[in-house]
Formats: sequence, C-alpha cells, structure tokens
Amino acid sequence: MQHLKLAALALATTALTPALPALADDHHKITDKPLELTVHMHGKRYQSYDESWPVEREACAWTNVCLKNATVGSNSNDSREAMNLLLASGDLPDIVGSEMFKDAANQFGPEGAFVPLNDLIDEHAPNLRAFFEARPELKAAVSAADGNMYYIPYLPDGKFGRGYFIRYDWLEALGLEVPQTVADYEAVLTAFRDQDPNGNGIKDEIPFFARQWEELIRLVTLWDGRSSGSDTPHDFLVEAGMIQHPYAQEGYRDGIKNLARWYAEGLVDAEVFTRGSSAREFLLSENLGGSTHDWFASTSGYNTTLSDSIAGFEFKAMAPPASPSGRRLEEHRRIPVKPDGWAISYANKHPVETIKYFDFWFSEEGRRLANFGVEGQHHDMVDGKPIFKEEILTNGRPVNSQMYEIGGQLPGRGYHQDYNYEIQWTNEYALEGLALYEAGDYLTDQFLGVAFNQKEQKVYDKYWSQIRTYMLERQQAWILGTGDVEADWDDYLSQLDRMGLNEVLKVMQSAYDRQYGKG
Amino acid sequence: MRNMNLYSRRDKLFVYANMVLIGIFTLSTLYPFIYIAAISFSSGFAATAGKVVLTPIEMTFAAYERVLSAPEFWRSYMNTFIYTIGGTIVSLVIVIPGAYALSRPQLMGRRFFNLLVAFTMWFHAGMIPFWLNMRDLGLLDSYFGIIIGFAVNAFNIILLRNFFESIPRSFEEAARMDGANEFQILWKVYIPLSKASIATITLFCVVARWNGFFWAMILLTDEGKIPLQVYLRQTIQSLGDDEEFSATLLTAPYSVETVTAAIIVCSIIPVLIFYPFIQKYFNKGILLGGVKE
Amino acid sequence: MMRAEDTPPAREQDARVPGAAKARLGAALARFLFRLRQDWQVYLLLAPTVIWILVFLYKPMYGLQIAFKDYSIFRGIEGSPWIGFEHFETLFASDQFVRAVWNTIKISALSLLIGFPMPIILALMFNEILKDTFKRTAQTIVYLPHFISSVIIAGIVITAFSPSAGIVNTFLQWLGLEPVYFLTKPEWFRPIFVGTTIWQEAGFQSIVFLAAIAGVNPSLYESAVVDGASRWQMMWKITIPSIMPTIIIMLIIRIGNLMEVSFEMIILLYQPATYETADVVNTFIYRQGIVGGQYDLAAAAGLFNAVVAFVLVMTANTISKRLSRTSLW
Repeated sequence: MQHLKLAALALATTALTPALPALADDHHKITDKPLELTVHMHGKRYQSYDESWPVEREACAWTNVCLKNATVGSNSNDSREAMNLLLASGDLPDIVGSEMFKDAANQFGPEGAFVPLNDLIDEHAPNLRAFFEARPELKAAVSAADGNMYYIPYLPDGKFGRGYFIRYDWLEALGLEVPQTVADYEAVLTAFRDQDPNGNGIKDEIPFFARQWEELIRLVTLWDGRSSGSDTPHDFLVEAGMIQHPYAQEGYRDGIKNLARWYAEGLVDAEVFTRGSSAREFLLSENLGGSTHDWFASTSGYNTTLSDSIAGFEFKAMAPPASPSGRRLEEHRRIPVKPDGWAISYANKHPVETIKYFDFWFSEEGRRLANFGVEGQHHDMVDGKPIFKEEILTNGRPVNSQMYEIGGQLPGRGYHQDYNYEIQWTNEYALEGLALYEAGDYLTDQFLGVAFNQKEQKVYDKYWSQIRTYMLERQQAWILGTGDVEADWDDYLSQLDRMGLNEVLKVMQSAYDRQYGKG
Repeated sequence: MRNMNLYSRRDKLFVYANMVLIGIFTLSTLYPFIYIAAISFSSGFAATAGKVVLTPIEMTFAAYERVLSAPEFWRSYMNTFIYTIGGTIVSLVIVIPGAYALSRPQLMGRRFFNLLVAFTMWFHAGMIPFWLNMRDLGLLDSYFGIIIGFAVNAFNIILLRNFFESIPRSFEEAARMDGANEFQILWKVYIPLSKASIATITLFCVVARWNGFFWAMILLTDEGKIPLQVYLRQTIQSLGDDEEFSATLLTAPYSVETVTAAIIVCSIIPVLIFYPFIQKYFNKGILLGGVKE
Repeated sequence: MMRAEDTPPAREQDARVPGAAKARLGAALARFLFRLRQDWQVYLLLAPTVIWILVFLYKPMYGLQIAFKDYSIFRGIEGSPWIGFEHFETLFASDQFVRAVWNTIKISALSLLIGFPMPIILALMFNEILKDTFKRTAQTIVYLPHFISSVIIAGIVITAFSPSAGIVNTFLQWLGLEPVYFLTKPEWFRPIFVGTTIWQEAGFQSIVFLAAIAGVNPSLYESAVVDGASRWQMMWKITIPSIMPTIIIMLIIRIGNLMEVSFEMIILLYQPATYETADVVNTFIYRQGIVGGQYDLAAAAGLFNAVVAFVLVMTANTISKRLSRTSLW
C-alpha cells in the first residue's frame, strides 16, 4: 500500500516537472544558489511542516529558498504548547511559524528570540511594505510594545462570520413577517413558543437556541449592549478611542435584564448552557429550533441536508433586529488579523533572504499559491481568476481541509487570505445571507488587541482573569434568575472596581494609545 | 472457590441481596460502554445530534470502515501494544526488586529510601523541565524513551512493598536455611506468594500505558510512533474541523462522534480480553497468602 | 537514617574524647561497610529503582524553582530573575484562589468520605458472590468506565441531568416534582461530581482490595466455619482485619491526594453559575493560564498543593504508624 502511494506520488511529481520551468521564471528568485532554511511550523491541522507539500515545492522552485522541517512537539495539537517546548529548548530553527503565535512573538521577540522586522521590510520587502502602508492599523495590531514587528501575521479575508437565522417556513406558517425590531423578534419568538409552528400539537418548540451560550449573551446587542469588541468572547472594546469593557456598560445591563426575562419566559432554550455543540443538529433535525445566531456557511447547509426530512424546511439569515434606539448591529465579524504567523529567529544567518521569502507570499503569485494551491494541479486560471478544479469543489470535503494537505491556507505562514477562495465553496443560502448583511452594513469596528510592556502585563495578569470570572458568574446567575441585574448593578460595578477593573482599563488604554496613536 | 456448603441458611438472604445490589451497579457501569458501542454503529447525523441513547440509530458500519481502513489506525494500535507490553515488562523488572528491597528490614536507610520514593508522588518537576531532561538523555521521539521514561511509579512500589511486608517471615526461613540468597528468596518465595499483588501491579502498568497519551504527544515527533490514544485525539481534531466547515458532512455516513466511538470500542476490546488473565489471580485458594500478625 | 537498633550501645560515655570519637566513627564506618558487603544483594535489587527515580524524577526537579522566579521560557530557568514569594502573594491575595482552595478541600473531603469506602465495599461484596461467572463478568464490567474518557462520561452525566430529557428529571416529574437544571445549581455540583467519579472509578479502585482479599489465608475461614460463624461475621472478623494494611496505605495515599481533584471532569461539568462550589485550584490556574500562559504561577500553586499534601500525609503516616505500624515510609 505504502509503496504504491509513494510510487503514485513520484509519478505525479515527475509528470509535473515539465510544467515547472514555465512557471518558474526568475523574477521571484531570491538567491542564485539554493538556500535551505529550517522551519518550525505548527498548527492544529498540520502539526508539522512537510517538504513534500506541492505548494512548498512550487515556492521552493520559484524562490530558490527551500524550507526544511524542524518542528518541535509535532504530535501535540496545541500550538502554544509546541511553541513553549521549542522556546524552552533554546534551539531555534531559522523560521518559526505557528498558530497562536502573537503572545510568544511579542514577549520573546524583545527578549531576543526573534529579529525585529521593520527595517528589513522597509529595505527588502516591497510587497509587505505596500500592504502595511495601506493598512497601518494592522501593522499596529501585530507590533510589540517596543513598537517593532516581530512576526508576519496570517491575515484572513472576508467580513462576515455569524448572523441571525430564523425558520422562514415557520414565519410563513404562522403568517408572520421577518422581524425588523427587537419587539418584533420577541413577538415572533413568543409565537414560535405558543402557536405550534412545527404542527405536531405539542408545545415543544424552542424559539431561540445556540451551540455556544456566548451567542445568547451576544443578544444584548439587541438592547444596545455589547458582548465583545473582537471575535473572541467577552473581549474589551474601543469607543471613541477609549478602551471599555462591555460588561460594565448600561446597555449590557438592559440586555441582560431582557435576556433574563426571555429565559424565564421560555423564549430561550432552557438548556442553553449545557446543550453544547449538538444543539443545532439536534434541534433543527427534530424540527424544534426556531432561531439562532451562528456561522453563515455551516448553518445554511441545513437547508440542503434537512430538505428531505422536514417538508418546506427553510432556515435562512435575517438582518439583525433593530434595538429600541433603532440600531441594527451584527457584532460578530471576522477579524482581519490573526495571532498566527511566522518570524525570523535570532539564529537565522540569512535574515535578508528570509524576509524576501516572506515577501514572496505577499506577491500576487505567492498569495495565489498560498490560497489556491498550484496552478494546473489545484486550480486553473479562468479570465484571470483562480478557480478551483472541479474535483476539489465536488468531492464532499471542505476545501480548506484539502488545502491544508497540500500546504495551502496555513495560518502558520504569514499570508493574506483571498476571500474568493471561500466563496467558491459557499452554498447559495449562505451567499444570500451574506448579500443581505453586505447590503445592510451592520458591522462595527473591531478591537484588534494591544501589546503590553512588562509593567502593564503584570497588572493585566494580576487582575483580569479574576474579574472576568466574576463577570461571567454574575452574568449566568442573572440569566438563570438567581439574582436581579437591576437590583445588583451598583454592587456589581463597585465590586468590579474593587477587583481592579480600572487598573486593567488604564494599562490597556496606555498600551492602546502607544500602539495605535492617540486620536 | 469455596463451595456452597460453607454457607448456612441464614447467609442466603445476605448473599442474594448482595448479588442484586452488585447487579444493579454493574448494569449502570455497563451503560457507558453500551452507549459508545451504540454510537459507533449509528449514522453520523444521529450521533452528532445526540439522538443515540441505548441502541444504534440508523445502523451502519461506516465508522468502522473508516477506522479500520486507515493504515494510521493499525500502526498506532501496534504502537500502543509495543508501549504497553514493553513498558509493563520494564516496570515490573525494576519495581518488583525495588519493592522487595524496600521491604527488607536489614536495608540500611530504609526509611530514607521509602521517603525518597513516596516524595515523588507529590512533587513533580513540571512539564518543561521533564521534557528538557528527556531531551538531554536523548530520549525524545523514541520508543525506548516512552518505555523507559515512565517505568517507575511510586504508588506501585509502595503498594507492592506493602504486600511483601505482609508476608510472614516464616515462609522464607526454610529457604534461608538452605542457603538461598536474596535473589532466590525473591524469586522462589516472594514472587510465587504475591501473584495477586503482582497481577494487580501488572494491571495498573498495563492500564496506565494503554490510556496514556499526554507524554507520547509531547515527546514523539514522528507520526509513525504515536499510540492509539494520540491518534484518537488527532482524528477528533481533523474530523471535527472538517465538520465545522462543511455542512455536506451532515449527510456523510460517519461523523467525528461515530468514528471516535468506533476507535474507543476498538481500544477497549483488548482490555476486556486481558482482564480475565489478571482476574484469575484474585481467586482464593490459588495461593497461600498470609496475615501479618 | 539509621534505625534505633543500629546505633552503638555506648554512645554517651566518652563523647568528649576526640580519639574515642574518631574510633567510634571508624567503627561505625566499618560496620556500615560490613553490612553493605553482607547485604549487597538487597542494594543491588534496590539500585535500578533509586537510579531511575533520581534520573527521571529528581534530576528535573530543579524546575520547581520557577515558582519563585519570573519565568521566561526563552531565557530559561537559570536566566529568569528571582522574585521570591511574589507568585504566592498574588495567589493568596485573590479571593477566588482562596475559594478554590476551600472548594478543593471540600470536594476532596466528600469524595474521601464516600468515595474511599466504596471500592472496599465493592470488593467485599464481590467476595461474597458465589457464582463464579457472575462474579467474573461483573468485575470485568465495573472496571470498564475507567477506560472511557471523561468527555464521554461527562456527556452522559449532562444528558442524565438535563431538565428536558434527562432520566433524573423524568423520575422527579414522575414523582410529581418540578424539574431542576442541576448543572447550573451550585448546591448540586459537589454531589454530582463526586457521584460521577465514584461511579466511574470505584470498580477500578476495588481491584487493589480484591487482590488483598485474595491474599487472606483460607485456613482462617475454614476454622471460622467450624466455629459456626456467619458470612457477615467472617467478613468483619477475618476479611477486613486481614486487608487492613492495604486499606490504611490506600487511605494515606488518598489523603495525600486531597489537593488533586480530577481537573478534566470539573472543566467539563462546571459553569460560571457553579464556580462558587466547583472552582478548584487546578481550574483556577487553568483559567489564569489562558490569560497569561503563566507556568511560574502554576508552579507556585502546584508547589503549594504539594506541600499541603505532604504535610497531610506526614501527619496521617505518623498517626498510622503509632496505631497500626503500617506506614508509607
């Protein structure tokens, strides 16, 4: 078996070689003599770098810089753990790439583990320089407290992540309109609860459900509250240049008060805190769930898979209902920069070649290679646009999983994603939802994080985790009805104060001002 | 086995009540296994939606086909056997003599050595220093490292030492008269008398090896050397992500839940087969134990 | 290090005469060497264990010092600056840490109280089963949950206690009671958690006691039968006293594990709403770690746990040695 496979692989590569010289003209060549650099590259789905990835072979042929695997901890699926082992060993390869890399890069870069990249980029990396000149906020977001950039990040593309979904067929069955305001939404959910939209004669419908209870908390946006400023739950947010925590704001109080009421009235899944990841599959396939807030692509998929078993099943996106003040907000969006990426280690003897190599991935061809794989093998150019081969789109596996296997779409490599890659395998219902959200402009700016200096970090470490714990404890208690948010609010705020929330906000603010420039 | 006539009539009630209670408890502990098995034979969707309770829903062998056709599965299965058998043998070879020596009254500094062993039950170096130590010993990414690096466990030593101590001195006196040395006394007197306890320690070693995954994950870099438990985790990760990104998998015949369950069933079967071999040493009358008094 | 009977009898007499002291030292050394030569086989048998423990467990223990350092993984243990007890101060300044310590102790105490006797009772009950096949099958089954991962066990527990479909609430409703969302109720966390771990582990833990019971001298039972003892009496008069040393050793070890609570299971079963009773030292550190990746703080908490455990074990060990002559060391 194994031999056969290898033989097939060998055949495939020899068959391709004739095609290579045509692609590999010299304009990406970084060195005349082939240069080999060692690399640590770790991600959940590709736990070590593989020299035989077609994408890597192609990059190697174009640039003459070839990477050699030196990944540590490659059987762990925790990238941070692997990174810690690598750093502890003190023996760094030339290039270090990883998911969840930001904290390590920005802490150990200034300590000397990684090379600062700003000058290298300015002098040797035109593509990177152009990119970050166009997006200074992204450069600020990845920089360390000393103002230097220590890693080239993975930059996702595309705006929308999650959205509101509702059973259109239920609305129709009950003669209801798609809710436009929070009052409408409440009325619809109440009707779902009381008027037996699934028609089985039993009052078993669950009007609102969620796979993660954080998505229930996100509904505070319906009352002008906020649940997070980034794509991470419970994160800080920036309002008019000031760092705030959403859980200490008035809107949040009102939101929680109303959510507690919804919970008590049975408009929200009574088991929302423990139902977990099977909630969506279970409640939709049993024809019980009415509305949720979840990812566009995967949630839309049920329209296809359940169309046979539930007559008329239509679970589609709806615009965010307007809050009492009239605001329609979709709080969740994709973050434009991830804490993933790669860096040049102190041990690297070829920093110039390496930054040129990093820059290659930001060239047009490099970016296409990182996103779509090798031309002729994985995609074809149609009207100047890369289109995935039919077999990749139709073999039933997600395209990103297939890309990981050939070395494409790796967050451990700093590159700029191209959303077109995803559109090609997004189903029609999701595209419809995305268009709806695009038209409505419901998104808001995100908080992209700060890099602390040592002093700030200490303050943050000392207080934040415990404040967060306290916030979540109170939050859940209020929703479950063991406490009244209005009555408790003043005590809650003064307790946050006692626990050091202001200290945390202060260090975040100083880091934020330093990083993003005041005003 | 003691036979029936040892029981008087008044014991009957006690015996039957006991059997009923054990029966109920046993059935309840059987449930997780039934549940796992039912999931492994269910359709991917039924399992993911949490509809399986007791019996398979939309019965299918798809998960097993997926699992058993993967060469990585068989390789990691094989590795688990290597680590388990190799590790257990090494453990016993070190622990049995060690426990015996610690039970000997003539050992100078016996308290000290016992404390030295017991101390390690609470004070651990931590992950990174342990890993660095293994690296310095050249034991990263090797079968040998996994086998030797976890050979001794303070709990097992103390348990076995305690068993050895409870064997009355009188058993070894005859051997000593015949001029037997320590090795012979251990081999000819103590080991035969402690079959049940050694069986217990063996079981503990086997089980720890069989279930262990954390250090294998950290120490091994070659995917070809990983044991089944690490393979299981990697499968959960990759299948889970696939499902997260693709709704088409909802119609796939298997899902991460069913594949996981199938792997767990495969990993439990050898344990089920192995236990009776250990169990036979727990029966009375096979050996003459002793009471310390 | 030396035991009482090894010390020379004439220890007080001429302590102030240097020559005599030297001679005594020489004699002690000679006796030491003599015994070493005489019992060399015992030391040879002990050597692999001691060497292994030193090489694999004690050698890396220098890593414990990070509890007193501002540890940077990249700078390494030596390169990181000392900060004294700062991590410990940080921990104890936090109400939540103190709460976690108490929760740990309360959960452990409860599982000690109920969870420790369970495997013993189970082993004794197995011992009273007459039908060999029934006994063997039951034994094999009860130890199975030990092989099923916490994730699945927790999933089963969550389902069983679910307010809508769970077996527990179905039963309550059948009795005419209101359903309860158990897993969000702080007062229910401890019983559910302790019950789950007992149910999962009692079978496996009973194996030690089964082995101990197998070691009981059968002639003791035979003579008891001749005296007309009942099964019940034999269990109390023969079986339990015979396995007492094992019970005591296991109890001491168990007391030493008082600070260790099955972290994985807690993470799976707890909710912010139940932190009040469910948050233990390990989970507290885990959440702290998510924020800062702080090995040093975790090491400090680990060291605190270890010291508490060690003190408890020393106490238990001393008491046990007085009362029963069974001890860990």
